[in-house]
Amino acid sequence: MAEMWIHMGPQHPMTHGLWNLRIKVNGETITDAVPELGYLHRSVEKIGERRKYFMNTTLTDRLCYASAMTWTHCYCLAAEELMGVVAPPRAQYIRTAVLELQRIASHLMWLGAYLPDLGLITGFLYGMRDREMFLNLLEIPSGGRLLYNYVKIGGVKRDLPPGFEAKAERVMQTLERRLKEYENLYDNSKIFRMRNDGVGVYSASDAINWGITGPNLRSAGVPFDLRQADSYDAYPELDFEPVTNTAAGGGSDCFSRYRQRIDEMHQSMDLVRQALAKMPEGRVMADSVPLRASGEAFRRTEDSRGEALMYLVGDGSDRPYRWKIRSPMFTTVSAAPHFLKGYKMADVPAIMGSLDMCIGETDK
Amino acid sequence: MSRQQVRGNPRMRKGLGSRTSDPATMMEDPPSGDWLTLRSDQFLNWVDDAVYNIAEKTGIRDVVNRVTRPIFNWGLRYSPWPLHLGIMCCALEMGAAGGPDHDSERMGVVYRSSPRQCDILIVNGPVCEKLRPKLKTLYEQMADPKWVIAMGECAIGGGPYWDSYSIVAGADTFMPVDVYIPGCPVRPEALMHGFLTLQKKIREQEPGYFLRR
Amino acid sequence: METGQLVQQLVKHEGASDGSVLRSNVGRISITREASQSFFSTLKNDFGFDHCSLISAVDNQTAFELVYHFSIVDATGQMLEVHIDLPRDTPTVDSITHLWGGADWHEREAYDLMGIYFIGHPDLKRVLLPDGFAGHPLRKDYVYEIHEEEW
Repeated sequence: MAEMWIHMGPQHPMTHGLWNLRIKVNGETITDAVPELGYLHRSVEKIGERRKYFMNTTLTDRLCYASAMTWTHCYCLAAEELMGVVAPPRAQYIRTAVLELQRIASHLMWLGAYLPDLGLITGFLYGMRDREMFLNLLEIPSGGRLLYNYVKIGGVKRDLPPGFEAKAERVMQTLERRLKEYENLYDNSKIFRMRNDGVGVYSASDAINWGITGPNLRSAGVPFDLRQADSYDAYPELDFEPVTNTAAGGGSDCFSRYRQRIDEMHQSMDLVRQALAKMPEGRVMADSVPLRASGEAFRRTEDSRGEALMYLVGDGSDRPYRWKIRSPMFTTVSAAPHFLKGYKMADVPAIMGSLDMCIGETDK
Repeated sequence: MSRQQVRGNPRMRKGLGSRTSDPATMMEDPPSGDWLTLRSDQFLNWVDDAVYNIAEKTGIRDVVNRVTRPIFNWGLRYSPWPLHLGIMCCALEMGAAGGPDHDSERMGVVYRSSPRQCDILIVNGPVCEKLRPKLKTLYEQMADPKWVIAMGECAIGGGPYWDSYSIVAGADTFMPVDVYIPGCPVRPEALMHGFLTLQKKIREQEPGYFLRR
Repeated sequence: METGQLVQQLVKHEGASDGSVLRSNVGRISITREASQSFFSTLKNDFGFDHCSLISAVDNQTAFELVYHFSIVDATGQMLEVHIDLPRDTPTVDSITHLWGGADWHEREAYDLMGIYFIGHPDLKRVLLPDGFAGHPLRKDYVYEIHEEEW
């Protein structure tokens, strides 16, 4: 049989983002894969050292642009830990609410990008339509559709206006109705099941060893959720359990990853309702946020794609001395060759799409 | 028409078909009469020159151009097919512009995966040193007529990453850009306005296509 | 087990020093370069740290410093931060890819951007920068031209 290396990327309709996947195929079966990143390397860590602490929130938004609020939030938590600042309770609840809304918007973006990969192009329109509702909702407090610069060191930029809760409730009820419709459409579709069941399987122990976290790990049956294990903001006061899914034969396959994100959307809506109901009154910004900081600190949060960690080292000046970013997709892409082998070339969009890749964060 | 009035390659006026100027390998002049020996590409160039000269001198080219330019221009304006290339955040807004809320397909915008079938290259993110040769290759693979839209601050001049060691300061440092759309990220409405601006530019500045030089 | 107890037990390991508790579920310890391999094996096999979160390289101008973050994948969220100091002229350390597969690309990135060489890594080459790039940009003595005048 003919064995050859094929480049999928950097410009490819399937790859969500700019990266190159070199696969070695024997006929149609994949025997090896080598991912290549770096087409979007903006050296955020180096230019972050030239900017003051509060100016870096513009850079963190653009790290993973599909889920911008969560990355700025991780940076602000690390900077607050470094400076010894605590955000007031109302700011913590607002952060929780907008983070969960952002998580829903990110999962809808994933849905809108994953289904066209399988050939279901109408899914793109459904995903975009529903995501617009949530982007309009997030535009109300922050002013931006995609990149917000809303979470600041010490709190949030401005308070939620009155009427926000009613709008959010209306939007979430609409989404719940539509998700029921999509579940009927996709879960019972024979072609969708054939393309997803048993494709891209990895076991839970392998996933933990390879450093996979987030929905990709929870879809293998491991109940590890940083919002519960290493809690922050208002999550300790909310009532929820990690959601898990497992493939039919154990481990995680494309269908369990798809179901995991749909279930997480339902869980996020529940968390938004709880956070908006329990929100206390008060200020939304800490009393005083210092300009200079020294020492070292790190915080990790549950990003829409996994465990995001930021490590900051300060040397007493108003700029970071060293800023290190952990991206969950960086480790997942490095593990991808393991569960691409043995499948056909046409399974590559399904497997890589179901991981929900965002190249902005891997290529810092 | 005698050969002295032919515009184009002066070597053809002398009846020389060889590419070298070395006298030892040059073909000699034929002994008598008018001989013309050409390779196939030289023949095509000669025919092209001849047809252009006839049409230009008699004025047919101008007349046909005046009739066909509006038709071709209308076709170019209302079917701009961009390349399916997404670099960074502005690519998500480009996708949102294709969604049902701001429908870009009503302008004739159909995203194609192969650069050979595209008219527009939308540069929607920062161009990194690793990406620059690939983007130049993509641009060169597109067939004329083609336009480049620099979408967002990163493509205009480096954006928030202007002081990075691995980012090129704007797409216009290595390829000609036709429309610049400011914004970070560019709102879908602004991208639609960018498409309309490109349509205006095509209407006003694009020459006709009959015997185009 | 509780973080204070964990750090106390780990400090008894050869080459370990400077143990402290950063937060209720985060401990911190320093280790010498020579003792790192046996320390990391103990960490994985005896103490159950099965997830390598991050490997950061810091350029303190007289020396390099590697900061490892490990965690346990369960509901306690226990974490440990390990510091290793490396001399400036020979920044080499043993690779931990055989213990945690997830450390593979973190080590490649530390090599790519900071120039730390990991002995025993299966495929140590550049991951983010182009292959022909010269230098390690995140070092403090890396100078590059910023196009300020072109505005």
